Parts: sequence; C-alpha cells; structure tokens
Amino acid sequence: MRVVIMGCGRVGSTLAARLEHEGNTLTVIDTDPYSFRRLPSDFQGETLVGSGYDDHVLEAAGVHEADAFFALTQGDNRNLLGAQIAKHIFGVKVVVVRVSDPFRGEIFANLGLRTFSPTNIGAQMAYDALIREQ
Amino acid sequence: MYIIVVGAGTVGYGLGLELQAMADHEVVLVDRDRSRSGELREELGEMVVHGDGTEVVFLESVGARRADMLIAVTGDDGTNLVSCQVAKHWFKVARTIARVNNPRNERLFRELGIDSTVSATGAIMAQIEVDLPEHTFIPLMKLHGSGLQLVDLHVIAGSEAEGAALRSLHLPENSIISLVVHEGGSPEVPNGDTVLRAGDEIIAVIPQEAEPEFRHLVAGATVNG
Repeated sequence: MRVVIMGCGRVGSTLAARLEHEGNTLTVIDTDPYSFRRLPSDFQGETLVGSGYDDHVLEAAGVHEADAFFALTQGDNRNLLGAQIAKHIFGVKVVVVRVSDPFRGEIFANLGLRTFSPTNIGAQMAYDALIREQ
Repeated sequence: MYIIVVGAGTVGYGLGLELQAMADHEVVLVDRDRSRSGELREELGEMVVHGDGTEVVFLESVGARRADMLIAVTGDDGTNLVSCQVAKHWFKVARTIARVNNPRNERLFRELGIDSTVSATGAIMAQIEVDLPEHTFIPLMKLHGSGLQLVDLHVIAGSEAEGAALRSLHLPENSIISLVVHEGGSPEVPNGDTVLRAGDEIIAVIPQEAEPEFRHLVAGATVNG
C-alpha cells in the first residue's frame, strides 16, 4: 500500500515505522524537518517538509496515488482540512483523522471521515486500568 | 438576525463594526486569542467574546443554536472550514460564509456545503485580469447554490472557438454561452448558427469546475499554445 502521513510527531512517526516494517510505501509530511528525527534510522520512505493541508504539498507527496491518508498533527482543524482535501479533491479511499476534541470528532465521523480521539482513548484506558486494579 | 463572526483580526473587526451599526442585527465577535479579544472588548463591549469558534461547547455558550448566520474570517482555512461545518451540521445554522485564504481551497469549501466563500486573493486576481489584455477571463459572480458561475471572456485568435459556429463547439456539460458582444459593441443573443470571431466578448454560465476546459476552448491557442 502507498500511505501518506501528515504530522511526524510521536503518533505519526510510530505509525510510519510500523507500516513500513510491514512492507508499505510511506511518505511523511511535516512543517518542521527536525521532527523527522523521530523516524527510525533505517527509514526508507520519503519525507517532505510542508503543510499537509496545502494541496500542492499533498500533490507533491503523491496523495493522488495513495491508498491511505492519515492526518495526525496536534491541530484538529488542520487535520480536518488536510483530510477533507485528501478525500474530496484527491479521492483517497481510506482517510483517518486524529481529532482531539471528541465533539468535533463525532461531527466529522457523521460526515464520513474516520476519526479517532486521543482524548477519549486515553481517558478510557485510564478508566480501564482503575477498574482492573479494584 | 443573530450573526456570529469567528476571528477578530482586521477583517472580523471591520465586519463586526459594520454589522453592529445595522440596527436589526445582533452580532457576537469571537476570537481565541485572549489578549486580542480583551483589547477589542474594551472598545466594542460585550459583543466580543474570548473563545475557540470551532469548539462545540464554546459555540453553544454563545448561542450558536439560535444563530441565523456564522461568518468565519480568520487567517487560517482549517479554522474557517471547520467552524462553518460545525455550525452547519451540529447547530443547523442556516447560512455559513467562509473567508478562503488559499484560493485553491474555494472549490473544496463549496463542495462541502459552505454557502458562500470570499477570497481576497481571488477577488484581486479578478481585478488584475480585467486590466491585462492577455488575461481574458473574468469571473463575474457565483450563482448561489448551483455550483455555476457567470464569466466574461474574449475569444482569442487561434482558439478552437474562433471561426466556429456555436453548434459545432463542444462546450463542457451544463455550459451556456448566453451573450456575445461583437467587436464594435453590438450584442447578440446567440443561437447555433452564431459564429465566434477573435475579439468577441462572451458572457457565459459554466460549472465552476469546467473553468479550465471552457477557458481553453475559447481563450486558449491551439497552436504554439
């Protein structure tokens, strides 16, 4: 699979490493080139400096040929803009968006985006840990 | 009308002032920058509220549920898009208007149901095109809700359209040439027999996405092009 990831923070870099390890072709976009240090030293994929919500950058990243697009920066709104460009302008089949605000995540899930909320996931795991300890 | 303006930069501030001066509107101006909104609150009073105009809980607190219109005019397209989408889909706000900073995002915003988009770059480019003879394409207006636009352009020598009768031209789907102004200034409502000449001015209705195709047909040289 060809996969484009927007945002090379901890989540983006961890996912990129895993997907590449499983044999996929990766392109990772970040506005800050320093963030690419988080990728494994033997990372073979492409890195691209720029905004993942800029259609020219997405085109340069080959998003029109991508099978999946992940918007994983810490900014909900830029993730949602990048994801909707990938889905509606470039027709990417699988688009996954990180949306920290659970309300916003729900609204955009209803609009057909695959969203996940680190806030909800984190709170749930903390809660589960408590239940197990009791 | 109750209007929420998101973003209190230069555009939002000016808009807030204008709307406040119109007697029939209740306006709230929101900005997520605490010092900017505090500063403006001293000048404009309670109409300025500090908060994130893309956040459901905050929008609820400023009465988004009863808003008739939300206008998002920050310098960030992601914020403007999401703010309008949240207003439309969660709060059922009837009319949403977004400022588009990157003019290439305009199409996406329209496709996603934002009722109106305003692009300063796009508007200025249109003005430049009026004054440049080699730029012969002027978008006149967008027809609300239909995805169509009204455009004005000149037939260029060497284009496919030059010398062709309208019936033989392969126009993009849903495009209509509604008026031809021949050189010298005589207007004609065209029919299939109307022949286009270089220098003729055309007023046409075309789908927004058909712009490049239409432009090429009428104003693109077929050789050395």
